[in-house]
Amino acid sequence: MRQERVENDYIVEMRHITKRFGGVAANDDISIGIRRGEIFAVLGENGAGKSTLMSILFGKYEPDSGDILVRGRPAVLSSSNDAVSLNIGMVHQHFNLVPNYTVAENIILGSEPIKRVFGIFPCVDIKTAEARIAELSRAYGLEVDPSLPIAQAGVSVQQRVEILKMLCRNAEILIFDEPTAVLAPREIEFLLDIIRGLREKGHTIILITHKLEEIMRVADRCAVLRRGRLVGTLAVADTSPQELAELMVGRELPPAGKRPSAGFGDTVLEVQDLTVRDQDGLEVVKGVSFSVRRGEIFAIVGVSGSGQVEIADAIAGLARPQAGRIRLMGLDITDCGIRRRIEAGISYIPEDRQRYGVILDFTLAENLAIKSYYRPPLSKSGVLRPGRIREFADDLIERYDIRGADGAGMITRSMSGGNQQKAIIARELSRDSALIIFVQPTRGLDIGAIRSIHARIIEERDRGRAVLLVSLDLDEVMNLADTVGIVFSGRMVKISPANRLTADEVGEYMMGVRV
Amino acid sequence: MMDAIMTDGLSFAMPLLIMAIGGIYSERAGVVMLAIEGLQGFGAFVGAAAAVISGIYLGTESPLLIFIAMAAAMAGGAAFSSIHALLCVKFRAQQVISGMVVNTLAMALSPFLTSVINRAITGNESNKFQIGPSVRFTVPGLSEIPLVGGLFKSMYPFEIVIIAAALISCYVLYKTRYGLRLRACGENPHSLDAAGGDVNRTRTIAVLICGALSGLGGVFLAYSISATYSPNIYVGYGYLSIAAMIFGNWKIPPTACVCMFFGLARSAGYQLCLYLGMPGSYSDLLLTLPYALTLLLLVFFSKRNNPPRAMGETFDRSRR
Repeated sequence: MRQERVENDYIVEMRHITKRFGGVAANDDISIGIRRGEIFAVLGENGAGKSTLMSILFGKYEPDSGDILVRGRPAVLSSSNDAVSLNIGMVHQHFNLVPNYTVAENIILGSEPIKRVFGIFPCVDIKTAEARIAELSRAYGLEVDPSLPIAQAGVSVQQRVEILKMLCRNAEILIFDEPTAVLAPREIEFLLDIIRGLREKGHTIILITHKLEEIMRVADRCAVLRRGRLVGTLAVADTSPQELAELMVGRELPPAGKRPSAGFGDTVLEVQDLTVRDQDGLEVVKGVSFSVRRGEIFAIVGVSGSGQVEIADAIAGLARPQAGRIRLMGLDITDCGIRRRIEAGISYIPEDRQRYGVILDFTLAENLAIKSYYRPPLSKSGVLRPGRIREFADDLIERYDIRGADGAGMITRSMSGGNQQKAIIARELSRDSALIIFVQPTRGLDIGAIRSIHARIIEERDRGRAVLLVSLDLDEVMNLADTVGIVFSGRMVKISPANRLTADEVGEYMMGVRV
Repeated sequence: MMDAIMTDGLSFAMPLLIMAIGGIYSERAGVVMLAIEGLQGFGAFVGAAAAVISGIYLGTESPLLIFIAMAAAMAGGAAFSSIHALLCVKFRAQQVISGMVVNTLAMALSPFLTSVINRAITGNESNKFQIGPSVRFTVPGLSEIPLVGGLFKSMYPFEIVIIAAALISCYVLYKTRYGLRLRACGENPHSLDAAGGDVNRTRTIAVLICGALSGLGGVFLAYSISATYSPNIYVGYGYLSIAAMIFGNWKIPPTACVCMFFGLARSAGYQLCLYLGMPGSYSDLLLTLPYALTLLLLVFFSKRNNPPRAMGETFDRSRR
C-alpha cells in the first residue's frame, strides 16, 4: 500500500529509460519522478541526454526499454499527439512557427475552431480564436497581439506564442527545452516570471537547461544528467550552484577569474564612421568609430539587434558598408573581398555557427581545412592532399580538445554544439591572425565549454592578438573585456575601459536610459 | 475583331488559370510542381478517351459528352499525379526530377495508349481522338457591353467551371482548416507536425488536387484549340501556367490577371496576323508572344517574388 501512495505523488514517472542511437546510449537506465505542481529542472551539459529524455516523454522517440507512468497510469507515447492527449506540452528550443501567419493562426494550427458561414461552408473561426487567445494571454501574463504576423514578432514574443499554443491545447505538464538560450537578459526575467506564474496556476513545469542560475532561481527540484546517466536528483533549496556544476561536469571547473591585460600594443583594427544598411535599406549601423589594439579585448555590447552583429559582419566582409573606412594594421580593407581580409589577418567566429561557421554535412577534417585548403601544404597545384588535411585536422583536434566518436572523419552534423564551436575556434585561432572576432562565442554552450572558451580568449589576448568580442551576455562581457563599446540603436554611445563601468551602468547605456 | 480577341483570349486564359491554380495547391503545400505539362496532357487524354468511348453509346452529338470528358480528365489527372505524390512525399525524391519524370512518362504513354484504344475501337492506329466541338453559349446582356462584351460571347461551359473552381479555391486555401494546414506545410512543415497535423497527407491531397485541376485544364485545351486530342497537346502550356503562377506570386487573383494577360496577348497577336494578312510562318512567330512576354516579365517580377519557404524541401521529422 505504501508503495502505491508514493507513486501517486508523481504526475509523471519515467522508470529505467534507456535509449540508444546507433550503439551510443543517449539515455542509460534513467529513472525520474516529477511531482504535481512543481518546477522540475533537468540539468546537464550539451549532449548529456536531457533533450532525448524529454523527447521520449513528449512522444518524439520511443525508448528502447523502460516505462513511463503519467498520473499513475502506464502511458504509451508513440507520437507527440499521444503526449498532447495526456495534456503534456513542449516548448522547443527551435520554434515551430509559420513566419507569414499571425500569432492566432499559428496557435490554432492543428486544432482550428470552425464556424459555418451560411450554415454550410465550414470556415476557420479566427475571430473567436483571437478573443480566446487574448483572454488566455491576459490570464497568464503573456502579452501578445493575436493579429501580429510572426515575421514581425521578436524572439520573446515567438516563445510566448509557443507557450500559448500549449495552453490552448490544455497542457497541464509543460516541458521547456532550453527556453532562455535565445533570450536577452531582460526577456529571461520575464520568462522566469511567466514560469512561476504557470506553477501558481497549477501547472507542472519541466525545465531543460544547462544554466545553473535559472535552476537556483525558479526550480524546486533538479535531476542532473551526465553522459546519458542520472547522477542525482536534488532539492534545489538544499544545494549550491557549485555542487550542481560539479555534478554536471563531473570534474572541478577551471576558475572563472578575470585577468586584466598586461598592456596594449599597436592599433590593429581601426573603424571609422562605419555605416551599414540592412536588406531593407535601413541604417542599422550609424557612423560607428572605434579601434582595437594588440593585447586588448574590445567588447561591443548592446541589446539584441542594436547593430553589433552588422559591425562584426562589415569588418569580416560579410556585409558591405554604406560609408566609412575599415583599416587593418594601417591597410585599408574596406573594399577587399573576404579572402583578402582573411589573408590580411582576420579570424572570425560567427554568431550562427551552423550556418556560417561549418558545413554540417562535411567531415570535421574538411571543415577544419576550409580556410586553408587551397594552398600548400593542404593542396598542391590545385589538387587536395587528403593525407595532409588529415594530419592538419588531427593536430587541431588534439590541441583544441575537440571530442567526438570518430575523430577527423566524423560528419560535423553528428557532433555536439560545443564541439562544433570548438572546431570553429580551433580553425580560426590556428591561422595566427592579428585580429580575432568572436560573435556570441558561448551561446547555447554548457558551463564547462564556456569556461574553456573564455580561457582561450584571454590566452589569445595575452599572446598579443587584438580581440573583438560581440556578446549579449553582460556577465561574459564584464568578465572578459578590457574595453567596452556600448551600442544603442546603431550608434556607439559609450567607449570606456571596462573597469570604470559597473554592469548596471552598462545596462543603462544599453537600454538608452543613459547617454 | 475586339470580340474575337476577347473570346479567344478568355478561352486560352482559363485553362492556363486552372492549371496554375493546381500548381498553387501543390507548391503552397511545399511540393515543387513541374509536372503540370504532363498532368494536363494525360488528363486530356483520359478525358478525350472517355468522350470517344461514351460517344459510341450516347451518340457523338450528345451534350453529356463534354461533362463526361471533364470528370474523366480530372480523375485521370489526379490518378497520374499520384505518381508525383508517391515519389515526392512517400519516397522523398528530388521534386524537380520527379516532375520531369511525370512529364516524360505522360508524353510517351498517352500517344501509345491512344493508338491502342483507337485500334480497339476503329481498327486504325491513329494517335488522335476526334472529340467534336464543345457546346458554346452567349450570356445575354453582358455580351452587349462595348469592348469587353466579347468575354461573354460564345463561352465554353468549361469557363464557368473554372471560374467556380477559382472561387472555391480562394475559399479553400484561405478560409478552411485544410487551407490553413496546406499553407503551413509550404512555409514550415515542422509547425504543422508539431501541432499534430499530418504533413504527408496534406501534401498528398494537394498534389492530387493539382492533378485533377491540371487534367481539367488539359481537356479544355483539347476542346477549345482543336476539337481533337492529339500529342500536340504537349506544346508547353503547362509550363506557361507555371510561369503565370510564379508571376502571380503563388496567389490566385494575381495569377488570374497574368493568365488573362497571356491569353489576350496570344489572341491579339493572332488577330494581328489575320489583319495584316501575314503568311503562316509569321503567325507562328507571333504566337510565341506569350513566351516572349514571360521572359520580359521575369526580368521585372522575379525580384519581388515570395515563393513558399519550404518549397522543395522533403519533410523529415528528425531533421530540421
